[in-house]
Amino acid sequence: MRTHYFVFAVTACCVLLMNLPVKAQVNSGESVPDVTRTIALTNAKIIPSPGQVQERSNVIIRDGLIVAVGPDAAIPFDAIEIPADSLTVYSGFIDGLSHTGIPQPKQEPEQERPDDPANPPNELAGILPHRDVRTFLDPKDKRIASMREAGFTAAHVVPRGRMLPGVGAIILLGGDTPNEMVYRGETALYAQLSGARRMYPGTDMAVIAKLRQLYKESERRHRIERLYSEDPTGLERPQYDPVHYAMFPVLEGDRPIFFHTDGVLDLHRVLSVQKELGFPAVLTGLSQSFDAIDKLKSADLPLLLTLELPKEPKQNKKEPPADSTEAPPTDAPVELPEIMHLDYDPDHRVTSFTDLESEKANLEARRTIAYKTHVGNAAALESEGLSFGFSTGGASASDLLTNVRQMIGEGLSETAALAALTTTPAEILGLTSSMGTVEVGKLGNLVVSKGSIFDEDGQIQYVFVDGRKYDIEPPKKSSGNDDEGEANPAGTWSLTISTPDGEIAGTLTINGSDDDWSGTLIVDIAPEASQLESIALSGHVLTFSFDAGGFGTISSSLTLDANSVSGSFDVPEVGPVSVSGTRTSGPEYSITVQRLIQ
Amino acid sequence: MKPKIIFFIVLLSVALNSAAQEIPTGDILVRNATVLTITDGTLENSDVLIQDGIIAAVGKQLSAPQDVSVIDATGMYVMPGIIDAHSHIGISNVNESSAPVTAQVSVGDVLNPYSIAIYRALAGGVTSSHVMHGSANVIGGQNETIKHRWGLLDPDELRMAGAPRTIKFALGENPTRVHGRGNNKRPASRMGVEYVLRETFAKAERYREAWAQYEEDIKTNPRAIPPAYNSQLEIMVDILNGDIMIHCHSYRADEILMLLGVLEDFGIDQITLQHVNEGFKIAPELAEFGATASVFADWWGYKFEVYYSTAYNAAILTRNGVLTSINSDSGELNRHLYHEAAKSQKYGDLTDDEALALITINPAIQLGIGDRIGSIEVGKEGDLAIFDRHPLSVYAINQKTVVDGIVYFDIEKDADDMRLIVNPESTVDTTVLHSHENTHQCLYEGSLDLYDFLESN
Repeated sequence: MRTHYFVFAVTACCVLLMNLPVKAQVNSGESVPDVTRTIALTNAKIIPSPGQVQERSNVIIRDGLIVAVGPDAAIPFDAIEIPADSLTVYSGFIDGLSHTGIPQPKQEPEQERPDDPANPPNELAGILPHRDVRTFLDPKDKRIASMREAGFTAAHVVPRGRMLPGVGAIILLGGDTPNEMVYRGETALYAQLSGARRMYPGTDMAVIAKLRQLYKESERRHRIERLYSEDPTGLERPQYDPVHYAMFPVLEGDRPIFFHTDGVLDLHRVLSVQKELGFPAVLTGLSQSFDAIDKLKSADLPLLLTLELPKEPKQNKKEPPADSTEAPPTDAPVELPEIMHLDYDPDHRVTSFTDLESEKANLEARRTIAYKTHVGNAAALESEGLSFGFSTGGASASDLLTNVRQMIGEGLSETAALAALTTTPAEILGLTSSMGTVEVGKLGNLVVSKGSIFDEDGQIQYVFVDGRKYDIEPPKKSSGNDDEGEANPAGTWSLTISTPDGEIAGTLTINGSDDDWSGTLIVDIAPEASQLESIALSGHVLTFSFDAGGFGTISSSLTLDANSVSGSFDVPEVGPVSVSGTRTSGPEYSITVQRLIQ
Repeated sequence: MKPKIIFFIVLLSVALNSAAQEIPTGDILVRNATVLTITDGTLENSDVLIQDGIIAAVGKQLSAPQDVSVIDATGMYVMPGIIDAHSHIGISNVNESSAPVTAQVSVGDVLNPYSIAIYRALAGGVTSSHVMHGSANVIGGQNETIKHRWGLLDPDELRMAGAPRTIKFALGENPTRVHGRGNNKRPASRMGVEYVLRETFAKAERYREAWAQYEEDIKTNPRAIPPAYNSQLEIMVDILNGDIMIHCHSYRADEILMLLGVLEDFGIDQITLQHVNEGFKIAPELAEFGATASVFADWWGYKFEVYYSTAYNAAILTRNGVLTSINSDSGELNRHLYHEAAKSQKYGDLTDDEALALITINPAIQLGIGDRIGSIEVGKEGDLAIFDRHPLSVYAINQKTVVDGIVYFDIEKDADDMRLIVNPESTVDTTVLHSHENTHQCLYEGSLDLYDFLESN
């Protein structure tokens, strides 16, 4: 009896929910349509394209398209009018490359071990150039909404994976079904120097070698296929295989490889192999490209710069004087407080153990300069006349605008920043006739903000995707949460360490409290636990080092949230490898796991 | 008429190539030093003039154009830049340990000009390194010969352009441990190592034949189908054709003789044996084959196959007519290779020139660059190490290191922080209590199962 009642209740609820006109679905036909698909933004400041301004103008959107722009644009009778007197209208931002709309698997599926690690199946080795990202799209992916909140209206998305994850597509950051989101498919092949785990190709050098093999064998098969299609008589039938055949559009010059580079070494390696094989390419990522400007210039390839920035190093900043909130007298010379800690002496020499503090201060100053150089990457490209679009892959959506503003703070012009968000990615992705500017005939993709989006106080009010309006809530002001005490690292953490050889699982155990920490790290490849040394907690950042035998002394910096951790291990001769993980037990759980040494 | 045009084209292409790869060179006059030429004795109170990166003159009271910078080396010793025939510095990957044969991979694809190990090597007077794939696989990857041009940021600028191609092979415990014990694959024994070698060379012979047949067929049949492309066998064919020199990680006398037999069967007459701890047992056989040896001065006992070793190895091999070098295989040991060379005098009474040849001209010859570096001779590249005392003295400290006529290390300008790039997210460490960094790296990334082995070193 009770069961029946329960089933009835649930069913009733479902029926009710299904019938609720939660949101008008403009494209799916079967639901209740919008009252009107005509919108008029009136009396706004319009930035039709980077560097241009049109004051007090109207923008009219009808059926998903911009149909009129200008001070005299008539407001149609059926338009929803949005007075935009104090607002600025930009073309919707275009993300050059990311995995937006493709949810990260909650847990990496248990990796199957191939029978022969020297010849693993392509699926396990991450060689999947025939996969189409459109089959992975999920309109419910949270990043779609958060990207939209940052002003992004379209994105070039590619599958997640390793060396060759698949073929990308342009999606609009709105819509209720995968099909509604897709703007265009089969855009590009995505590639990265990302090896398979404990099988071939495991290292960067093997990924490069594998790419050569794939490319040259594809060229051969392509030729045979052509011979056969011209005249099959007397020729052995060429056998289809999805991997080599997926390379054919690249060989024919119809499909570029979007090649991800993470750091300047990747950049050199990718440029070398691109020059050698000669495939059409777009370089993405491009962190540290400030160190390879000349090479980028001579390569003359389209560039998509990541919006991910390194975390700002913690400084031993002196407390500002208590009255610093007061406005300085206008005739006083302008103070540049950020210069103060840049007091770096490149010729600094001490005997380490006699003057540790001065050496430490010098190294910290250098690190701060390095941070600024990294943030100034975009400005460096611009000053050398290199044009680039932005890509958001790797960066948290809530950081995107902040990071653009930081880049502007290090010298990037606002015009170049806006171009990198709109016109340049449109050019690189072949979208100039439909996106990138506020012009008649283009898609109704707009960002409407109060104040300039590049000002710290700038606030996005609405985003239009395909003519559909999204109200953007201002982000909740954090009430000084950043400095709210320290994280408690005590407990056990399950880590994933992404090494060039593949991912390695580890267990981090931290005991103690306050400034008295101890801990161990067990990595699944090591026979025994490593004792952690120099453990220090500063706010939410936990640092320590440990002896990893033949790998050297690894220093680590991890940022802790309540239940997740991320950061890097700095491995000698390898560089930083990223580490992420989750808490598996709380502070009350403090058993040091020790394995027997055999 | 025609040959002239071809000559012009050749000239033009040389010019274009050098334009594409402009390695900076310098002019330097080193004055009044004791010059250890290695190949032409020791010259007291002599000068070395380098112009455009090439040694232009060696002798007393040399005159030089005014703009040439002068190093007063009165009381100092100038030797050719030290060459490390076995190293793993300046690369991001060492082993592609997923397969027992990985001839198609190359550490030259993953050079890292930012590696501080390059600067540290310069501090020890080392100007060139033979940067090798690791020893996890029977046939490992291709190696790269680099010059230590610290501060040039393009990886291509590290390469010693024109140096012969080399490849790493490995016998014995490492490949059998990684693939046999680690993956339950061949080779699980020394016999298996020989099998893998023979099988791979036999495949390469067939591959070479298939392509030769295709080249023949295409002449008469434009619709001839080429054989499947195999990047691994392409490299193996280059070895068979003598275009790539083999450097083989090896310890035991029996397996070395096995290797010589395999090479003989496949018509390969060039081999440098790396480590070759039991070389002293078979020195006459090595000399007869024409094999060369690159050894440690006195490093052994770190695993079972290296228990039977002697510090007299370098001297015995040398005295038996085996061209021998001493290498570091380490980002630490490479900073005092001159000490390692000196050990051959304590153990084996080699002459000064013989001892210094172990770290200069001999490794140069083994790498196929003996005509370019390894001694102080007119026409050779301007790579020098300038010591305050005789480099075979335990008190010697390197003062300046010159590559292509440019001072890349100067002890007077050796600041605390010589890194070329800084990760803004890195931690600032000021003291290291204990570090295994840069110790024996031959098996670095070799296999995850090797952790215990590395620990036991």
